[in-house]
Amino acid sequence: MPAPQAFGFEYNSRDELVYPVVSNAFEASNIASGTATSQHRRRSSRGAHVPPEGLVNGHGSKSIGGPTRTTFDTIPYEDDESAVRREYNGRGLDMSLDHSPSPSRGGGWSSPGLTTPFEDTNGGARSRSPAVKHYGDLHSGQSSGGSGVTWASAKERSARVNGYPRYQSQNEGFFTRHYRNISEGLPYFAHGGQEDRYAEKEKLGRGRIGGNGFNVAELPRRVGLLMSRRRKYVALVLLMVVGLCIWFNDALTHTWRRTSFLGGGSKFVIILGANQGGGVMEWKGPREWAIERDSVRNKKKYAANWGYELEIVDMSTKKRYAHEWRESWEKVDVIRNAMRKYPDAEWFWWLDLNTFIMEPTYSLQHHIFNSLDTTTYRDINDYNPLHIQHPPNGTSGDPNSPKYQNYLDELTSSPVGDGKPNSINLIVPQDCGGFNLGSFFVRRSAWTDRLLDIWWDPVFYEQKHMEWEHKEQDALEYVYTNQPWIRGHVAFIPQRYVNAFPSGACGDDRGLPDAGCNAFMREAVRLEKLGQSSVNLDMKECGVQGIHYQEKERDFVVNMAGCEWGRDCWGEMYNFRQLSNRLNRNRWEKFKDWVHDSWQARKKPQPQKGSQQKQ
Amino acid sequence: MQFPYPRKSSMPTPYTTPRTSSHTRRRNLRALAPYLLGGITLIWLLIYLFSGSTTDPATYRPPGTPEAVIVTTLSPKMSESYRRNIKENRQDYASRHGYATFFPNTTDYDLMPNSPESWSTIPSLRHAMTLYPHTPWLFYLTNTALIMNPKESLTDKVTAPRKLESLMITDKPVVPPDSVIKTFSHVRGERIDFVLSQDREGLAGGSILIRTGEWAKYFLDAWYDPLYRSYNFQKAEGHALEHIVQWHGTVLAKLALVPQRILNSYTRETGGGSSEGLYQEGDFVANFHGCQRDSSRDCEEEMDPLMARWRELRDQERKR
Repeated sequence: MPAPQAFGFEYNSRDELVYPVVSNAFEASNIASGTATSQHRRRSSRGAHVPPEGLVNGHGSKSIGGPTRTTFDTIPYEDDESAVRREYNGRGLDMSLDHSPSPSRGGGWSSPGLTTPFEDTNGGARSRSPAVKHYGDLHSGQSSGGSGVTWASAKERSARVNGYPRYQSQNEGFFTRHYRNISEGLPYFAHGGQEDRYAEKEKLGRGRIGGNGFNVAELPRRVGLLMSRRRKYVALVLLMVVGLCIWFNDALTHTWRRTSFLGGGSKFVIILGANQGGGVMEWKGPREWAIERDSVRNKKKYAANWGYELEIVDMSTKKRYAHEWRESWEKVDVIRNAMRKYPDAEWFWWLDLNTFIMEPTYSLQHHIFNSLDTTTYRDINDYNPLHIQHPPNGTSGDPNSPKYQNYLDELTSSPVGDGKPNSINLIVPQDCGGFNLGSFFVRRSAWTDRLLDIWWDPVFYEQKHMEWEHKEQDALEYVYTNQPWIRGHVAFIPQRYVNAFPSGACGDDRGLPDAGCNAFMREAVRLEKLGQSSVNLDMKECGVQGIHYQEKERDFVVNMAGCEWGRDCWGEMYNFRQLSNRLNRNRWEKFKDWVHDSWQARKKPQPQKGSQQKQ
Repeated sequence: MQFPYPRKSSMPTPYTTPRTSSHTRRRNLRALAPYLLGGITLIWLLIYLFSGSTTDPATYRPPGTPEAVIVTTLSPKMSESYRRNIKENRQDYASRHGYATFFPNTTDYDLMPNSPESWSTIPSLRHAMTLYPHTPWLFYLTNTALIMNPKESLTDKVTAPRKLESLMITDKPVVPPDSVIKTFSHVRGERIDFVLSQDREGLAGGSILIRTGEWAKYFLDAWYDPLYRSYNFQKAEGHALEHIVQWHGTVLAKLALVPQRILNSYTRETGGGSSEGLYQEGDFVANFHGCQRDSSRDCEEEMDPLMARWRELRDQERKR
């Protein structure tokens, strides 16, 4: 059998020295074949080399007898000198190896001619054959060979030989080449049926991990399986998907949060009434502009973060609403318009301009809507500053009047409606004086259409416009009280959940109990279980009674209600903005501030010391 | 493949594949797939079949539920014979078609002081809805009217959607002659919750059909609002009705006007009657409109001839 491979090796080492730059493969092969002939002759005459040499010689000449031409005659001489030099050095190293060729660095045997055919037939089973290693390995091999045969020419020749395929003719991709490196890094590698031999050896006597069931201990192996040759495309695709996910993280998060069946953000619309009373009634100064800017920016950021819709509406005084009867009734029309504009949205959150979202990390879903039955209360008797008679019974409630029929049905006269969260269509917070419409939720429904329709009526307003100071707010309280159909679909929410007041609005902040609100609520529940009344507990700002913003409890939204009457709107807005920023610092900012603060704290005492010393 | 000596391990031989290869697994799956699919379909079918019987409480109607309730408020001022006649008249019609009747007193409900007792119409309708929660239609007939032609059921006469569509007067000013608010020009019969007719002066509230449900609760509660009662509308609840119909689209959208003689023929032209609305033999209802308000008229007396005629017709039918 021919051993052109060995050929190539031997001369490659030379080749590298003589022609360090091979610019053209064809040229190189020509040169190489020319030199090869002369070299062989000389070598055989010396007769100083290893047994396979004869073989090499014979086949070498045979193969060279092909299409190659000897053209460059001058080169071999120059070549010879260096060859001799190298030969000498090489032989010094090789001396001991003459009779027993040792495995070369890359594995397998370097003795040419004998080993290769065998390995070839064995195929992949002994993959660590000399065929795999190229080039560099050969420096350590015999350099006794001739000169001028380039690696490229040898390769070409070897390819021409029949029955000797290139060693690895398939799977020359990235994964095959680095297959072993990857798999060796894993604890053990399961692939096909073969691996079980190893697996078994490793845990002899420990028993097999049973069946096909999922096992955490097998996870690394499974990951390994995933990376195996057969699934490399799966792995590639996965890798790419993960990469894309990381790259487009923000966009994906936003899409996720918006999509109705995932995060559901597009189901919520925030309606922000800007420019209140603007236009005719008053001019806006720089402070008013600043309030508007801050408030709008705050909501924009929040809406963008959670994928909600934000509808900023101009509430400036318009002629349409300038009539005495229509003043400040835009709210209803604005909500109707928003419902028309966002036909897929479900909940509409009205927000006054003087509000500030303190905790932008709270999503509406998580904060309120995922647990509507616990966050809201249906029975107004839980907290009833207006002393509305509830549930309605079809009578005026006057104890002196004769007995009348209760004509209302069971559902309407139930204190909690049907008790199911999905019958809630309006969520209103109550402050110290009753309903507060600075921040409330309305759901798209037929019921809501009716409410928005009946909310303003000229006959009501004609009779009541002198009494109804808060216009639509009072009107809502009125219809809630007098039209029983409304009750079953209204839920109330503790003021601090969506509409906390600053101290000074609605009386002063009563503070939290020392033990915190949760402990208090538990205590109240415990007392009720025992059959005692929890009325005597001073709830302060806890539960449904809570009205004022509590920093400790991280309330969601602040509403600077009534700040335009004798309070400093801009000042309050500014303070709350700063507070919100401070509460929502990230770790890095906290760290920076901590460094800054501790530095300041260290710096402070020094001047004091200095002054003391001076004294 | 053979090994020269027996293996030490009791484990399965290494050269047999202990784990089914992905190929065989896939083949097994393919073989199993039809059975799996069949199983899932069967389960779904069973669930579908057995859950089909539980219906929406909003549309659920237990057997024996009357198709309609006829509501007439009776004033304590009315004479006993008058009351009896009225009841008899309604009950006859109800028994023919399996309807229920409800005769509350006008004083049963807490109207506000000084509001006319005619306002009791509204809570009485609400009350009827409470008593018959699954009944789809309420038929209010004022106590000055008689049912003269009891042959046709309400469904055949009015409330069947296609029938209603054919009867509906569209694009007509709600309050004649020149209200800017007109009835909707395209409404489907299924969407109509409120049927009444017009007389010359406005909406004729003496004979009303209301479909029960959430909308009815809203409409009746809104209509009954204390501020309307205290507003001193000239015609009390009648004007209040005209007011809400014109100001509130959610009411107007559910309203269908039908020709007056379908539901509410008047016996006289005075007091709001028009020539098209005058009672003729064979009409469903004869309404002695205004007989109560006008002190010079006596309702019972006026009714007598028609009451006699109604009895005559009834007895004729019984003989047959």
